[in-house]
Amino acid sequence: MLSEARAVSLREFWLRGRGQANLMIGLAVTLLLIAVAVLSLVWTPYPINAIDIPAKLQPPSAAHWLGTDQFGRDVLSRIMAGARNSIAVSLVAVGIGAGLGVPLGALAAARRGWVEEVVMRFNDFTFAFPALLSAVMITSLFGPGAINAIIAIGIFNIPVFARLTRGAALSLWQRDFVLAARVAGRGRTRITLDHILPNIASLLIVQMTIQFALAILAEAGLSYLGLGTQPPDPSWGKMLNEAQTLMFLAPQLAIFPGLAIMATVLGLNLLGDGLRDLLDPRLRRLR
Amino acid sequence: MTLLSLQDLSVVLDTPEGPATVLDRVSFDLAAGESLGIVGESGCGKSMTALAVMGLLPDAARCTGRIDFEGRDLLALDEQALCALRGRCIAMVFQEPMTALNPVKSIGYQVAEGLRWHLGLGRGEAAARAVKLLDRVGLPQPRFSPDLYPHQLSGGQRQRVVIAMALACDPALLIADEPTTALDVTSQAEILALIAEVTAASGMALMLITHDLAVVWQNTAAMLVMYAGAVAERGTTAEVFARMAHPYTRGLLAASPGALGDILPAGRRLATIPGQVPDPQDRPTGCVFAARCARAAADCLPRPPAERVLAPGHAVACLHPHEEETVL
Ligand SMILES: Nc1ncnc2c1ncn2[C@@H]1O[C@H](COP(=O)(O)OP(=O)(O)OP(=O)(O)O)[C@@H](O)[C@H]1O
Ligand SMILES: [Mg+2]
Repeated sequence: MLSEARAVSLREFWLRGRGQANLMIGLAVTLLLIAVAVLSLVWTPYPINAIDIPAKLQPPSAAHWLGTDQFGRDVLSRIMAGARNSIAVSLVAVGIGAGLGVPLGALAAARRGWVEEVVMRFNDFTFAFPALLSAVMITSLFGPGAINAIIAIGIFNIPVFARLTRGAALSLWQRDFVLAARVAGRGRTRITLDHILPNIASLLIVQMTIQFALAILAEAGLSYLGLGTQPPDPSWGKMLNEAQTLMFLAPQLAIFPGLAIMATVLGLNLLGDGLRDLLDPRLRRLR
Repeated sequence: MTLLSLQDLSVVLDTPEGPATVLDRVSFDLAAGESLGIVGESGCGKSMTALAVMGLLPDAARCTGRIDFEGRDLLALDEQALCALRGRCIAMVFQEPMTALNPVKSIGYQVAEGLRWHLGLGRGEAAARAVKLLDRVGLPQPRFSPDLYPHQLSGGQRQRVVIAMALACDPALLIADEPTTALDVTSQAEILALIAEVTAASGMALMLITHDLAVVWQNTAAMLVMYAGAVAERGTTAEVFARMAHPYTRGLLAASPGALGDILPAGRRLATIPGQVPDPQDRPTGCVFAARCARAAADCLPRPPAERVLAPGHAVACLHPHEEETVL
């Protein structure tokens, strides 16, 4: 019965969302990115790490659509594999951020008092360092590498989700239906699970798409600095880094990974904006 | 048998402007299956009384006195014990049906929730009981499917859902805090009739909070008039209405928007009681109503008047109560 109601509203979401240009563009770009990443697992035009020195630094051609790098590796293949890397890193990093931040924020709002103080001070502490700086700190402490980059980006995401959750949850705790749930004898944990989180789910989804874009940027930044993904694994940021010295010799080496990052971040932001409009409860009331 | 007993319940709230006494030595008894109306102006502490009984006062509140429910001191219970009591033994209906329901859960789910939680019913059984409860409060199938969401119902219909939620576990006490204020006149009468009917039918005690004397007159056997956090007058509804000894009670009668206002002789009818309720941070030492009272004298000012019994089952906290009978 309930799933039937869900199905109806999903269809309604689709019908309403179809007319929204930014949502549709964002969705298309995101799906394309995912498709490319999945495809790269089974097929790329060339093996991603196949070195072919005679064919190095070629401009785009029929054989190599996006050209080759200084080792003669196919850029298109590496960008495809880089998408996989970007998705994996940002998925796990946002997962860490939301997975720890949301419970912390919800706990702070539910318990108030010293629990809230501790959580918020922890947030302030983490937030006080600029994201990239704290990532550099963590990776220099534990050594560079994809895993440490993920952890660094994840930690920087925790306070984002903790603050968002706490703020939204605090205002929900003031609402009558939460008081009604308390009057009905529900404990704070159950109220958080049944009443608070479902009501901020859409907010969290939107924030996740945005943090996802930021995480892709952060991964690229860390890899660019040599602190993220290590060679020879492909990463968009790493490719930019390597292209730097060859800027005038082979500009395509910088342009294509740059475009990939830009399109992905733009697409995710459009998706986030579109979802925000779509999930806005004030609009939902009108259905 | 006494179900609920408040003894000298005082509640002090810590506010940025200093401590505010929102309840001042409130005492009353409510027997099982009986009904009590609590009436007073906005801000006189009616909701605070209800929340104190539910154990849901704001964090900044300090409570003294006793609240006994079925022989247990509620103020001594921990949160877990209170959770087991709320919704199971004491249920509450709020003023705002528009916001008292969770917008993202179906009404069937919300009614069934308490059944599953308190009574341990399975999903199917709870859902079946929920449908019966919806029917009981005047939301019959198939028009009012349990799969509807709150925004698909009118205010009156939502309040019926809230009442169904409150009735679900067959509590011993139902607290209704201005259950009809947000509704239009027709729905008001229907909802009040529904509350009176269901509580009477299942032997539930009713604590009905309102600012409208007419609502008390029509629905409860006993009543309590509150002013500025304290009890001004109390008794059986018939006794209190026959005498209306406290000047504040008469002021409320005159200000009553409903049928009662018209009964009063034109010359004694007032639109409102002049003046304002004193701030809870800044209560006068004497009678709190003195500043607004036409009958106030010098002896009202030094200390608050003690409660005096006028007749069996009728008491007033006033040094100069009205002596003459009302026209009612
Ligand atoms: N969270 C709070 N902090 C400080 N003071 C409060 C708080 N909540 C209520 N009060 C004060 O407590 C007093 C009693 O409030 P209460 O809600 O019990 O009034 P009420 O009789 O229910 O009024 P109404 O008819 O408007 O619902 C009021 O003076 C109010 O200003
Ligand atoms: Mg109130």
